[in-house]
Amino acid sequence: MTRLAPDSEIVAPPRAMTRERMRWYVDAQATAVANDGRPRHGGPTIHDDDDYALAQGLPGIIADGMVSTNWILALMIDTFGAEAAQSGRLRTKYVRPVYEDDVLRSRLRITERVATEDGDRIRMDVFCEMQDGTPVTVGEAEVLVRDA
Amino acid sequence: MATGRYVSDLATGDRLGPIRYSVSAFTVREYCHSVELNHEAFLGIDTPVAPPTLIHLDKLKLYEAACPEGTGPDARLHIEFDATWHAPVPVGTEVEVVGETTERFEKRGRTYVVTEINMTEAGTGRALVDYRDTVILAFRSDAKGEAAE
Repeated sequence: MTRLAPDSEIVAPPRAMTRERMRWYVDAQATAVANDGRPRHGGPTIHDDDDYALAQGLPGIIADGMVSTNWILALMIDTFGAEAAQSGRLRTKYVRPVYEDDVLRSRLRITERVATEDGDRIRMDVFCEMQDGTPVTVGEAEVLVRDA
Repeated sequence: MATGRYVSDLATGDRLGPIRYSVSAFTVREYCHSVELNHEAFLGIDTPVAPPTLIHLDKLKLYEAACPEGTGPDARLHIEFDATWHAPVPVGTEVEVVGETTERFEKRGRTYVVTEINMTEAGTGRALVDYRDTVILAFRSDAKGEAAE
């Protein structure tokens, strides 16, 4: 792994928040909550049902914030390896709604790297943003990288 | 105590759970596939682990157990996810999850609810994941500025 110093940035390739990506999460949510080995269809929700979203005062379906949170987590694991899922922290705040076909990129900006007995503790700011840089999800994260 | 009916009834001090379950490979793979966590650590066969983000769905399990009549009249808005994970959670682990409504407050005409959730290894009590979840109830009048769940 490349040694990342403070102010280093890691940016994921852009992804479009398609209606299918929104629905996948709705279905996975229902599947995970049932936890009985059978896939489920979730909804109707504001993430997968146009009429339901309109009835809730939205202009259309919007993405569940956990989709962008997981895209950020994926970038953390791409960057630091599976260790990032073993000890760490992730805080994300949803600052703007994400509509169908919005194109987003996830980004990490390293803010601190501290050597400890157990490895390097790396802190970072995290973002998921539109291609013009408008943030939709912001926060911070921390991972412990033992093989640094 | 405001459990027993709708999620929108929850009040500060309400305790949710405990619930116990075994983390299954099926659930981990389905969840990770849906959010494109395409890493063998989650999707593979060599002792896959649950992603720390899966704790968010434990909130829904706790809601389901404590509030059997569902969300209430309007959709909820998820505002903030804040999880700290202390150890990996391999598939097959028996976990116990408890939650508590720690805050309910009004801000700019909206009702915010904070739930703190702790996942431990069942039997040993070893801490696995701590999660703080913030939602807005009933966002119907104005959806600008937040995502939703």
